[in-house]
Amino acid sequence: MVATFLSYWSGRPARRFDGWSVAAILICLLILGPILALWLTAFGDSRGLWGHLVSTVLPRYVVNTLLLMLGVGVLTVVFGVSTAWVITRYSFPAKRIFEWLLLLPAAIPAYIIAYTYTDFLEYAGPVQSLLRDMFGWQRPADYWFPEIRSLGGAVLVMASVLYPYIYMVTRIAFRLTPASLFEIALVHDKSQFWSVGLPLARPAITAGLALVLMEVVSDFGTVEYFAVETITLGIFNVWLGMNNIVAAAQISLFGFVFILSLLGLELYARSRQRFAGNGKSAVELQPLVLGLKGQMACQAVCALPLLLGFVVPVGVLLKFVLAAPITDQLGQVIDTVGATMLMAGAAALLIVAVSTLLVLAATYRGGIVVRRLTMAASSGYAIPGTMLAIGVMIFAGVVDRTWGGLVGDPRATLLLGGGGILLTAYLVRFQAVGYGALMSGIRRLPDNMMNASRCLGHGFGPSLKLVILPLLRGSMLAGGLLCFVDIMKELPITLLLRPFDFETLATYTYQFAKDEMLETAALPALMIVVAGLVPVILMNNMLRRAG
Amino acid sequence: MKVANTKARVVVRRATMRLTNLLVAGFAALFIGGGPVVAAAGEINIYSHRQQFLLQPFLDAFTAETGIKTRVVYASKGLAQRLLAEGEASPADVILTVDIARLSEYADLDLLAPVESPVLASNVPPHLRATDNRWFALSTRARLVATSVDRVAEDAIADIEDLADPEWAGRICTRKGSHVYNRSLMASVIAANGADAAEAWADGMVANFARKPQGNDRAQAKAIFEGQCDVAIMNHYYYGKMLHSDKPEQRDWAESIRLVFTNQDDRGTHVNISGGGMARHSPNPEAARRFLEFLTTPVAQQLYGEVNFEYPVNPSVVPGGVLASWGDFRRDELAIENLATLAPDAQMIIDRVGW
Repeated sequence: MVATFLSYWSGRPARRFDGWSVAAILICLLILGPILALWLTAFGDSRGLWGHLVSTVLPRYVVNTLLLMLGVGVLTVVFGVSTAWVITRYSFPAKRIFEWLLLLPAAIPAYIIAYTYTDFLEYAGPVQSLLRDMFGWQRPADYWFPEIRSLGGAVLVMASVLYPYIYMVTRIAFRLTPASLFEIALVHDKSQFWSVGLPLARPAITAGLALVLMEVVSDFGTVEYFAVETITLGIFNVWLGMNNIVAAAQISLFGFVFILSLLGLELYARSRQRFAGNGKSAVELQPLVLGLKGQMACQAVCALPLLLGFVVPVGVLLKFVLAAPITDQLGQVIDTVGATMLMAGAAALLIVAVSTLLVLAATYRGGIVVRRLTMAASSGYAIPGTMLAIGVMIFAGVVDRTWGGLVGDPRATLLLGGGGILLTAYLVRFQAVGYGALMSGIRRLPDNMMNASRCLGHGFGPSLKLVILPLLRGSMLAGGLLCFVDIMKELPITLLLRPFDFETLATYTYQFAKDEMLETAALPALMIVVAGLVPVILMNNMLRRAG
Repeated sequence: MKVANTKARVVVRRATMRLTNLLVAGFAALFIGGGPVVAAAGEINIYSHRQQFLLQPFLDAFTAETGIKTRVVYASKGLAQRLLAEGEASPADVILTVDIARLSEYADLDLLAPVESPVLASNVPPHLRATDNRWFALSTRARLVATSVDRVAEDAIADIEDLADPEWAGRICTRKGSHVYNRSLMASVIAANGADAAEAWADGMVANFARKPQGNDRAQAKAIFEGQCDVAIMNHYYYGKMLHSDKPEQRDWAESIRLVFTNQDDRGTHVNISGGGMARHSPNPEAARRFLEFLTTPVAQQLYGEVNFEYPVNPSVVPGGVLASWGDFRRDELAIENLATLAPDAQMIIDRVGW
């Protein structure tokens, strides 16, 4: 790590080294600080635990993690790509509604959907009860029913809420593919999907997939509830069961390096995804009109993931909310909605601002150092939330002790105990989301935009203000909304780092869901979904205009 | 049409601007909120591993009695690391946890201050507090065996060791072995029988499982009710919670099982604790001590039974209501600290046998 860093440092001198670069480097170091803290923790003495882990549980953790990634990866690609293709390429009734409905599962935390599915599919749930009534079965031994608390169940549950990551980017990619290419496929009697759509959308699909897989690897809530022994679950066993934070940090960095190779995959994919000029000059792509059967097929393709990722879980939550009196809970839930929106809004704003600065600095000002550093600053997404939170705490402790020394009061804090540490942690974790959105936005701008503006006599600042930033507004909004939804449902970081008596919808839901008190957890869980609606609809409007 | 559109745009833009301003203001407020968060004199700050809604009745009673206000951060894991990172600047006064292993993690990291209090010394028996008075048990919970009322004879199981008997092949359900409750149970078996015998026992029991370990303790009762298994391990208070649940199906689950207080002829049933201590850098140690003392008074001790069906630690308090109706039983009086010491060994065995 250090060696590679040094080689970049000494390899090629920065193109320019101005205020932009300095600011970018400082921000990147702030973001990388907590990750570095985790690395330093991992260099402690793990008391020879690795031998035990390798000979007992680690192989199982790794195999389960890989199977989970494979399963969720395949299913999200199938869901995401098929829906994106049908939505962009065909016209059918209710298409406009499906278009944004398909994004809704993104607002549901995976662990909530795990609880609802268990309720729905377990022995006493509606599905099995109905089957027993229909076939006259009496006991569990009378029939076989798939176990939801299993690897397969985890794949299903995660894929149903994660496919929107792929749907979103693939839809843009399909839309940006020039119509003339599809016409060429038609002329040559080749499949428009297999020979044109899919190959050209591949970088976008890979990018979405990388995000999905990072979510899968860092998930704790779902795998814990379903008792699927993944690497992340192993981290917690080692940390809490054996009081060994060092070994836990080592395992999470083992996972981190693994995911970084995935991130490399994404960056490689994006590096080939250059759109000089934009799709607008091409002939507009006309959706194909289908017969009745074809229309129904399109609707079925869209309805399936929607049913799995939204209708069933929200239905279960609604059942609970409607069955029990909610009035005594309502006041607190409404307060919590306010706090959640404020926190998520503030953090999203911060992330977009930082991402914009970093992307501009990396694209127009800094040299290789700045570019690599901004990329490295997006790696927090790959670390399980609680471990990242611990890194942030260690880092904040160092900052605050320094600060306490400066002002001569050991109790003075800048970050710890207030909202500052939470914002820092959100920034470290979700910087990848904002950065990704902004980077893909700026990549779509022709290179000569800035040069043209400069040639016309505007300085760098005015050029940004007049030309580049207005063109990036869409990407900023998209990145901000995505972050907003992500932060609103974030659980482990918020739980651990929040100030006294501060609840977000996610933490408020969790204290009940933890004891499987789904009836009490239902209302706040539903509010997460409701609060996610507005950003999701806004996001859809952006996607529609994209290109 | 075009005019209307422009107007709408202006409205949207204004609304967006207002929203942005609001967010920026909130953002600033949050950062300023990052300043000193030490509680005022009449206030204590609590780090809790127990959910806030379970804690609230105690906090209300404490504030009513003393006028001291309380503030809480609840998290299930990582609070010790938070305390460690905060160091001297930590605003926390009191730590509340469930399970001894978590309490002793705080003690091992030197995050707790000894509390010299005659009240605590007389209210908490010696085997339920740290020798150096850095932590105190506040309630106890028994981990015992639940059997099917219909399919298992009343005296078929007497000891926890019986679960390894091949008679129970394909009939036992539990939550995951690495859960802190099972880890402590495993530690108690190691303490009683030695590591080798304990591992052989765990191995035999795992071979008897009806399904992959999953769910919480309540889910095991449900599995017995549904006929998936006949025998389960659970904490006693789940039985009380289900029996008095307002959900009829949970009452059904409870009625389908019976509790077996194990090992009554030798060491007694394994008990674990919920407990607490004072943070080493507590800014308000006086109030923190009063809070801990309050939790061991008869009023609060009865509350543990009422809120969560837990047994009191204060020997002068006789459990009332439902707890009384279950009768008294012999408890494993192993010094509770030993469970924490043996926890890493227990986890290793759990990993090896695949519980």
